[in-house]
Amino acid sequence: MLFVLKRIGVSVLLVWVVATIVFLAIRMVPGDPATILLSQGGVAPDPAAVAQLRIQLGLNQPLGMQYVADMHRLLVGDLGQSLQDQTPVAGEILRRLPRTLELIGAAAVLAVLLGLPAGLLAAIRRGGAFDRIASWLAAVALAVPIFVVGTLMVAIFAQGLHWAPAGGYVSFARHPLRHLELLAMPAATIAIGLAAILFRMTRAAVLDVSMRDYIRTARAKGVAPRRILARHVLRNALMPIVTVLALNLGSLLGGTVLVEYVFNWPGLSGLLVDAVNARDYPEVQGVVLVISVLFVALNLVVDLLYALLDPRVRHG
Amino acid sequence: MTPLVVAENLSKHFPARRMFGRGRPVQAVSGVSLTVGRGEAVGLVGESGSGKSTIGRLMLGLLEPSAGRVVIDGTDLGATDADSLRRLRRRMQLVFQDPYSSLDPRRTVGAQIADGLAIHRIVPSGERRARVEALLARVGMTPAHADRYPHEFSGGQRQRVGIARALATGPEFLVADEPVSALDVSVQAQVLALLADLRRRLGLAMLFISHDLPVVRSICDRTVVLYLGRIMEEGPAGEVFERPRHPYTKALLSASPTLDPARRRRRILLPGDPPSPADPPSGCVFRTRCPWVAPVCAGAAPPLRELAAGHFVACVRADALGPVPDAPNGSVSQQ
Amino acid sequence: MQRLRPGPVVAVGTIAFLALLVPLFGLDNPLHMDIAHRLAQPTLAHPLGQDAYGRDVLARLLWGARVSLAVASSSSALACLVGTALGLAGGFLRGPVEFLALRGMDVVLCFPPLLLALLVVTLLGPGAPTLIPLLAVLYLPGFVRVVYAGVLSVRTQDYVEAMRSLGAGRLRIMLGTILPNVGGPVLVQFSIAAASAVVLESGLSFLGLGVVPPAPSWGLMIGEARATMMQAPLLLLWPCLALSVTILALNALCDALRDAVDPHGITRRRRHGGLLDRLAPGLLPAPGAALELAGLTIAIDTPSGPIHPVRDVSLRVMPHETLALVGESGSGKSLTGLATMGLLPPIARVAGGAAWIEGRDVLRLDEAALRRLRGATVAMIFQDPLSSLNPVQRIATQIGEAVQAHARSPAKATWRRAVELLRHVGIPDPERRAHNFPHEMSGGMRQRAMIAMAIANQPRLLIADEPTTALDVTIQAQVLELLAALRRESGMALIFITHSLPVVAEIADRVAVMYAGEIVEQGRVAEVFARPLHPYTAALLASVPREDGSLAEAIPGTVPPPYALPPGCAFAPRCRFARADCSSGTLALTEVMAERLTRCRRWSDLA
Repeated sequence: MLFVLKRIGVSVLLVWVVATIVFLAIRMVPGDPATILLSQGGVAPDPAAVAQLRIQLGLNQPLGMQYVADMHRLLVGDLGQSLQDQTPVAGEILRRLPRTLELIGAAAVLAVLLGLPAGLLAAIRRGGAFDRIASWLAAVALAVPIFVVGTLMVAIFAQGLHWAPAGGYVSFARHPLRHLELLAMPAATIAIGLAAILFRMTRAAVLDVSMRDYIRTARAKGVAPRRILARHVLRNALMPIVTVLALNLGSLLGGTVLVEYVFNWPGLSGLLVDAVNARDYPEVQGVVLVISVLFVALNLVVDLLYALLDPRVRHG
Repeated sequence: MTPLVVAENLSKHFPARRMFGRGRPVQAVSGVSLTVGRGEAVGLVGESGSGKSTIGRLMLGLLEPSAGRVVIDGTDLGATDADSLRRLRRRMQLVFQDPYSSLDPRRTVGAQIADGLAIHRIVPSGERRARVEALLARVGMTPAHADRYPHEFSGGQRQRVGIARALATGPEFLVADEPVSALDVSVQAQVLALLADLRRRLGLAMLFISHDLPVVRSICDRTVVLYLGRIMEEGPAGEVFERPRHPYTKALLSASPTLDPARRRRRILLPGDPPSPADPPSGCVFRTRCPWVAPVCAGAAPPLRELAAGHFVACVRADALGPVPDAPNGSVSQQ
Repeated sequence: MQRLRPGPVVAVGTIAFLALLVPLFGLDNPLHMDIAHRLAQPTLAHPLGQDAYGRDVLARLLWGARVSLAVASSSSALACLVGTALGLAGGFLRGPVEFLALRGMDVVLCFPPLLLALLVVTLLGPGAPTLIPLLAVLYLPGFVRVVYAGVLSVRTQDYVEAMRSLGAGRLRIMLGTILPNVGGPVLVQFSIAAASAVVLESGLSFLGLGVVPPAPSWGLMIGEARATMMQAPLLLLWPCLALSVTILALNALCDALRDAVDPHGITRRRRHGGLLDRLAPGLLPAPGAALELAGLTIAIDTPSGPIHPVRDVSLRVMPHETLALVGESGSGKSLTGLATMGLLPPIARVAGGAAWIEGRDVLRLDEAALRRLRGATVAMIFQDPLSSLNPVQRIATQIGEAVQAHARSPAKATWRRAVELLRHVGIPDPERRAHNFPHEMSGGMRQRAMIAMAIANQPRLLIADEPTTALDVTIQAQVLELLAALRRESGMALIFITHSLPVVAEIADRVAVMYAGEIVEQGRVAEVFARPLHPYTAALLASVPREDGSLAEAIPGTVPPPYALPPGCAFAPRCRFARADCSSGTLALTEVMAERLTRCRRWSDLA
């Protein structure tokens, strides 16, 4: 229990650090942030607009005051207003967040369904035809960047073969089948790379655990191979797999930005790219904050999962 | 004449490093006083967790004591600055237990033997090679071995290299931390013979750390028996071995297997495991496993008493120990 | 360090070479627009055609490689330099430096990489001057962590303490001893960082937030080609291919470096003995023996042919009897035990002989039949009880598994049986201990639990492989006592594998002495120890530390490795009784006296 509380405490601390950095980032840039944000292509911005923006961002107050005000706003869930249309950032994020989560969830499920059994099979039949083919495929899958996979998918399956729509979004409530059709390609794009990572890790972990002394003990007891696999090998191999999954969460979340862009999936990341292009700092700040919190939370879940799997971690 | 190395009332506590929650500090060593005379070999005997390796590191100034002090030839290690301590290291060296991790896998053994020569500028760089070869010859190896890497050698040969490295600076005091326990029996004897020979020829003072009583007896003048970071018994090696006075020494001797049927003793089986050094028993730390335990043992920690010339025992009942009682602790078996 | 596979090095080298030398190829200016020929088909002057602005695709592709690799390598180099310094300082100096270095990295790791990049680009604008330091910061944690972890593991090595004890200063230890030993992982990390920098740079450029147009960059080219996907699909293909091949090469280099730095043993599939060997029946076993080994030979296939770490091992154990298999490391004693259980590691195989248990040759049983035997008729315990127990299972579960592997048993009854077994092997408070995980027990208790597991099905034969070597003397005495008591009450046969002659004297009835893969002497313990009939046994006995305080006698030389065995008697080169004819011909283990066997021609000289 102490472990869980402590781990949650660390996560809260990390979220605070992230919020502070995001707060400081814009203020550490040399020059006046408002001027920088309004500069487009080297043209000096309208001084009146700059003054207006300074007031909106609260930049004319002392730094300490700004910080306290900012943190207070964050605590009550206010992420400020978009510079583009003056709508609350929090509302827009809340509308788009479930779509991103849906994409990640679908991709993760696909990747686990594909990567884990394949890795297990490759490890059991190590050196066999399946192992060699799957290992080679995984190497290729890891080498092709996610936006290339997405772009090529669009080029081949949508533009070339007309099997699937090139991109877009329809809510599930409105059109369930169409929704799933639109979800398939972006989810598959993310899943391919993740499945390759999972495949490699599962294969390596299963092979590693199979060499351990306690597997020899289980064999010496006369335990059936299937049970050895299920009770001894898999349980212990899951730990390194979970670790690797955690290490790749960051690039997974980053990857969705590119995938949402390629497939016009109106999730958080699309919002982010538009905001970056428009230099809409409050919106960028809000999205980065939310995704980082998500990231920290996912890491927390992984850590707790790890403790659940390994009694040695629990007892510290 | 004062002894070369004097350790007074040494204690070492390690803070408990736990990820979560606070543990009690581990009392690795508590109030140990020890001397090693010039040319003398002192054996430090104990099981795992007895603090014997910690004492070795403390005596070389590689660890700082939590309390007490170590004086080498009049110099208090704790009171010297870092530079003088580094210069002093020339005079005291360490031989390790594990011949595999004690040598840097990425450098030739010659280069590693030469390290000490270079650090203390003992011989000009042009003569280093010759000195390295002489050192290798001294430990029974050939000059050509200097250009090889550690992985090309067997465990026994690596241990010889480790000894040559320690000898390079011309030390007067050598701490040998279980130098043969990782080696096969036949090789063990080779390395022990080498150490005994070097000690005789170079007049080395030696602290010989081991868990193996017969090994200690064969190479040491004096034996110190440790349990849970405290000295239980101390005396001339043969004396402690032939006439142990402390219950723990008796049990340890009776438990160590022997080839000689004539010497096969009545085995005293100690019950259970040693207590955790983070939570030692009050009074005599051995009382929880001692077959002769009496209520008085739970009181104050027994001091070391001189029972015979140079023979010290930390047991209040040492004068009155009869044959092994059946109660309250432990069982006795007849071989 | 193992040898580096050349393939990936050549591939990455070629790409880098092309990128470096591209100005010498006389290609078109990659920025030169030619709107008249937009999306033109390949011609001799433009082998890959022209893009939407009429620029030469091949030139843009090769110049793009230059941009990608320059950004990737300079940012990785920057991260490597700073990260290594931070990790080294943090790991070696500890204290506040360590705290700052590690916590700082944790903060960087709070942000998904692409997100942090986008945040910075929003503030500083796109372009290479932003990109390189940005990527360097992103990959910094990787280097710091790798170096820090390396330093922590290296600094506990004895050779670092040896440098301290020699009086070496901190700088000398850090740069001369620690840095070279963490160099391998740093190199691996560098290749990982470079590969992901290529990915991230192209991703940012694809979004239009990395390299600023019109500079050539693969990500930018892919982004631009998307617009003309239908008219000119090849425009999309080339940069995709170039990018993927580059990353594939870099990834392969990472793997090759990792393999070279951290070598795993080459494992081969297990093969069974030759047909003839399988057909030839072993000698008929003695009636009533718990185990009879006849001519057991084990082979390991190496690139230069098979080696035989165990050769012609024959022995017999009767019920109620304890046989000690004694030998130094590399003598083949453990492999002999494992072969009897059918548990040889994958690289080793049985090349000959028979092992009779209950009238069946276990060396010729299939895995299913072996499994029914293991843990039921024959059980085994191992040297290191911690690594031999599953770290994530409760102790009673693991013991119960031995019961359930051979009989149907409901969960509750199995647990009770496990508790009963724990009590039987002398574990205090077994009801509570049953719930423990292995790491919660002491070494002696873990070995008792291993023994409980082994005796769960009342085996007729227990093979104990150095069961007390990892234990303290007083705990060793407890375990020896327990094994002797169990043997007395159950009548099982015990094979006790050890390197310690005094332990043999304590526990065994008979002893088989192994040297370099062969049994050199066999007989009753008291007789063998009183009057050895093989020079090796005699020398081994003489090398045991004496109890009278005199120094033991060493055996000169070292045990020959199985790939370089001397001809004739394997011990001859170290034997003081050896004569010229000892180093030729083959020697058999011969019964020279009643129940005394030796593999020596000179045995009578010893007597």
